[in-house]
Amino acid sequence: MSELEIRTRNDRTSFLPGEELAGEVTWQTGSDPGPIELRLFWHTTGKGTQDVELVEKISFSTPLRNDRREFRFVLPNSPYSFSGKLISIVWALELVMLNSGDTERLEVVVSPDRSEIAVTADIAS
Amino acid sequence: MRARDNPFRTDQVLTIRYRMIDGSFLGMMERLPELGYRGAIIGPKGAGKTTLLEDLEPALTALDFNITRLRLDDRQRSFPPAFLKNFFDRLTVRDFVLFDGAERLSRLAWLRFKMRTKKAGGLIVTSHRAGLLPTLKECRTTPEVLTEILEKLAGTPPADREVRLLYERHHGNLREALREMYDVYSAKGEKVLSAEQKPKTLMAL
Repeated sequence: MSELEIRTRNDRTSFLPGEELAGEVTWQTGSDPGPIELRLFWHTTGKGTQDVELVEKISFSTPLRNDRREFRFVLPNSPYSFSGKLISIVWALELVMLNSGDTERLEVVVSPDRSEIAVTADIAS
Repeated sequence: MRARDNPFRTDQVLTIRYRMIDGSFLGMMERLPELGYRGAIIGPKGAGKTTLLEDLEPALTALDFNITRLRLDDRQRSFPPAFLKNFFDRLTVRDFVLFDGAERLSRLAWLRFKMRTKKAGGLIVTSHRAGLLPTLKECRTTPEVLTEILEKLAGTPPADREVRLLYERHHGNLREALREMYDVYSAKGEKVLSAEQKPKTLMAL
C-alpha cells in the first residue's frame, strides 16, 4: 500500500473562481510507482445520476518511489461549490497511481465568498 | 440535510453490491459453461439485476474475456442501426456481451440480436421476464436484505416493522425504497447529523 498526500499552499481548502490552486503532492511506495496523475475535477452527488467533469490533470514524469512534486492549477470561473437537498457540486483534487489504483483525495470549495453555497427549497409563502 | 451528506445519495447506494439470497456467486459462475456462456438474469424492477450484471464483469474479465456492455433504458430505448452493425461485425469469441435491459428489444430485434451474437464468447442479459435466454439467476429481494442495506448506509439499525412497511410500500423494489429514504433524510436529516440526537429508527426521522 502506498502513502499519498495532497497539500495545498497554506493548507487552504477554499478558493475564489479563477484563483490559483497550488501546493505539493508527496508519495511513498515500496516499488516502482508507475505513472502518477493529479486531477482537478468536480462532480455532483445527490439523488440522481452523477455528473463528473475533469477540468485539468497533471501527469508527473519519471516519478520516484519517494517523491515530492509541486502543482499549480488556475480554477475556472464555474461551477460554484454548492449544496441543496437534491444535489451538491463538489470540487476535489485526486492524486492517482494509475498502476496500483491507489488514490488520495482532497475536497476544496470554489465560490465567490469561499464558502459552499447553500441552496434551500424553502420559499416564503 | 445537504445532498452530499445524505447517506442515501446515489454514489453511496452504488457501493452496495448484489446480495445472494439463494445459492452463491461461485455456483452461478459454475453454471455459466453449462449454459454455453449464454444466460439471463431475470427479476422485477429494483431486485438487483443490473448490480449483479456489474458484479459479473470482473469475474468474466478474469476468464480472459473482453467485456462489452450494452444498455437500454428509458433514456435510450433502441440502438442506432449503424452502431449495431459495427458492433456485430467486430464481435469475436474473446468478447463477452453484458446487455442490461434486453427485454426492451422487439421480439424480432431480439431474435436478430441473439443470432448475431452467437460468435461472441458469451452473452448475459437482464430482463424482467424469463424466456429470452436460459435463466442464469432469478433476482429477488427480502425485507432482511433491505434491512442490511439500510443499516450499512445509515449506520442505524432500523426497526423490523418499519422496514417491512417500506418494503411493502415499494413492492420489494429496493431502488425505490432507497430513494424514499433519501427523501426522508433530505427532509428531516439535520437530526441525523447530530450524534447526540441519533434517531432510534430510520422511519422516525
